[in-house]
Amino acid sequence: MNISRREFIATSAAAPLALEAQKRPKLAAVCTIYFKMSHAQHIVGRFLEGYGWNGTHHHPPMDLVSLYVDQIGKDDLSRERAARFPEMKMYPTIAEALTLGGGKLAVDGVVLVGEHGHYPRNEKGQTKYPRYEFFQQIVKVFRDSGRSVPVFNDKHLSWNWPWAKEMYDVSRSMGFAFMAGSSLPVTWRTPSLEMPAGARVREAVCVCYGGVDSYDFHGLETIQCMVERRAGGESGVKWVQAYRGENFWKACREGVWPRDLMDAALTRSHTLIPARKGFNNVFPSLDDMRRLVKDPVAYQYEHEDGLRSTMLLMEGLVADFNFAARIEGRAEPFSTQMYLPMPDGRTTLANFFSPLVNNMERMFLTGTPTYPVERTLLTTGLTAAGVESLYRKQARYDTPHLAIRYQPTQESTFWRT
Amino acid sequence: MPKRIAVVTTVYRYLTHAQHEADRILVGYPRNGTWHHPDMKIVSLYVDQKPEGDLSEARSREFGFRVCPTITEALRCGGDKLAVDAVMIIGEHGHYPRNEKGQVLYPRYEFFKQCVDVFEKDGRSVPVFNDKHLSYSFEKAKWMVDASRRLGFPMLAGSSVPVSWRLPDMELPLGCEIVDALMVGEGGSDAMDFHALEGLQCMVERRKGGETGVRAVQLIEGDAVWKAGEDGRWSKELLTAALSRSDTPQGLTVKDGRTQDLVRNGELPKLVKNPWAYFIEYTDGLKATLLMLDGAVTDFNFAARVQGLGVQSMQFLLTPEPNVTYSACLVSKVEEMFVNGSAPYPVERTLLVSGMLESCLTSRGLGHKRLETPQLGVKYHAPRESQHARA
Repeated sequence: MNISRREFIATSAAAPLALEAQKRPKLAAVCTIYFKMSHAQHIVGRFLEGYGWNGTHHHPPMDLVSLYVDQIGKDDLSRERAARFPEMKMYPTIAEALTLGGGKLAVDGVVLVGEHGHYPRNEKGQTKYPRYEFFQQIVKVFRDSGRSVPVFNDKHLSWNWPWAKEMYDVSRSMGFAFMAGSSLPVTWRTPSLEMPAGARVREAVCVCYGGVDSYDFHGLETIQCMVERRAGGESGVKWVQAYRGENFWKACREGVWPRDLMDAALTRSHTLIPARKGFNNVFPSLDDMRRLVKDPVAYQYEHEDGLRSTMLLMEGLVADFNFAARIEGRAEPFSTQMYLPMPDGRTTLANFFSPLVNNMERMFLTGTPTYPVERTLLTTGLTAAGVESLYRKQARYDTPHLAIRYQPTQESTFWRT
Repeated sequence: MPKRIAVVTTVYRYLTHAQHEADRILVGYPRNGTWHHPDMKIVSLYVDQKPEGDLSEARSREFGFRVCPTITEALRCGGDKLAVDAVMIIGEHGHYPRNEKGQVLYPRYEFFKQCVDVFEKDGRSVPVFNDKHLSYSFEKAKWMVDASRRLGFPMLAGSSVPVSWRLPDMELPLGCEIVDALMVGEGGSDAMDFHALEGLQCMVERRKGGETGVRAVQLIEGDAVWKAGEDGRWSKELLTAALSRSDTPQGLTVKDGRTQDLVRNGELPKLVKNPWAYFIEYTDGLKATLLMLDGAVTDFNFAARVQGLGVQSMQFLLTPEPNVTYSACLVSKVEEMFVNGSAPYPVERTLLVSGMLESCLTSRGLGHKRLETPQLGVKYHAPRESQHARA
């Protein structure tokens, strides 16, 4: 048989290439805004430019082909990225981003990043990021096309609990893979420890920083990714109570949350603000903490199985996320730090987005989430409940709607390699 | 009875090594999820320089130890015999001249020798910790280690890089076969290159056969470093692996937040105006490279090709100021030696690194020529247990 050189190349090379192209999922990204250090920049950029992973510069085996950006600000980077990566097209609507301008869903996965941007705040202090609204538009395309694809939702689901629940319910009824949440559960830990599966966890505390309806969510995800591994799995939450300002200090003094766990968490911090001038790393007394933390906030909540968890926002004392728990059979508290290489001067890359993107990739490749979205459904509800308790003058807020039961993954999904 | 400690230091100001290491004895430090208060008491301090911002007098008043005008008095606590259980020599920071190789002439040997004089005169020796390298001079460094062996006192030295957290929490298996190793660091010589070389050494010393010493070194700089990469003298694959662990790429990342493959995108030579490459040829044939890439990154990352394991890489996590919790990791090792009477890892590591660094800088002074180093036949075995922060 005679074949020309050209034919030979065509038959031998093109076939695997076609197969390869078939295997590479196409993704759409739906974002609120895209500027330097915004979540969209961190997440979308890693699909476009690749990122350090497992000791190499990893390029995700998929193509982010379309981008919707809700607000184009003065410092917008999306157009620069679209110009430099012409395989990614920008579209004026979410529907067009998902259909690539055609009539039917034309992507294999959707990345929804509804963080940052100018959106109104309500009277409770919640920023009304349009995650639910974006999600509605995404599932409309799914319905119109008679086909659904996996969706990743950055951070919590919606500021508004009924909407968040609806997002979850729709993903279940339509049967598409759905993942969400913070990078805290998937980032490095110092030390690199996992909560033993089936541990009998009695109490859990996270000492972290930031504000209400913002970093409180990250603190709640920090706790949840650990305590969900306890014996019986997650049972849901019965009530939430917030403490702020003077009430926080009173509760702290009265032992509403265990002081030894709070202290154990603090010993994991790499960013303890020195309580004394001239000392670089000194453990703070309660008086020191009062002086340093101007607006302390705690959310304490009781799970259905009796576990009590407390998230402590201590802005001014630390700038990291530290976890401690009391586990039956262990004399000492179990503690670690969920380490964020934060680009607040310490680093230039927010590399905790790398494991988040890597988990998304695995969902887009396999069609199966790497950890349960119920975790983030619960932390979404806890965030809203904490805000609600604060709004109701720090009254205990019953949460029968948070009877969310789920089982954790067997495998650890935090960054270890 | 708490262990009685003498601190011998160059300068005691905020964020000097003396301040953050000695203070941890005074106010405790984070260790394994507790705020640990060592059963140790600083009883005396010798401080060589007291510039503006000196904290030694304030600490002495608050914590009730004496500041002595001489090292001898500090070790004897004003009496006529050695009166402490251990000595910390922290000879970092302060104003000291540099020699023609650019080495700061910190008086670590001179301090140590005075301690040894007391030990010899008083007929008793105690454990000594020496922060960072032993001396700018290998000959003096060797004398220090020999003295500790001759008088039989435990000695620990070096950087906090080997004992800090690692991302990922990784150790090379003891007895592995290392094909090639590369370290990336940044910062000036001879402070930060020492840290980087200790990071490199604490990894490669775990190779099959243990440490055999160094037979030759060479330091090159400038465009010759890039050319050496093109020629395959250092591995681009290992550099890619090391940089993939960095959280601090400069240039375009600083400009607009993007991630970068610095080896392939051509930015490296633009960012690094004056790269230095330190080539280390070990006696057993292993070749390792330290690249000091000021301007490219601001963290310390390591990669090695290991037989059967492929490329292994990680970041030595140097946690931020002011806590610099990595120094707590180092102080916990110092405490371990003071309590147990034996060093958790061999001082020969730091002896070898002190000599490697000096010889590299000599090579630079001799027009970057390869320098045989028969004096660096330092043999030792790595500790079986990993010593970095993991718990």
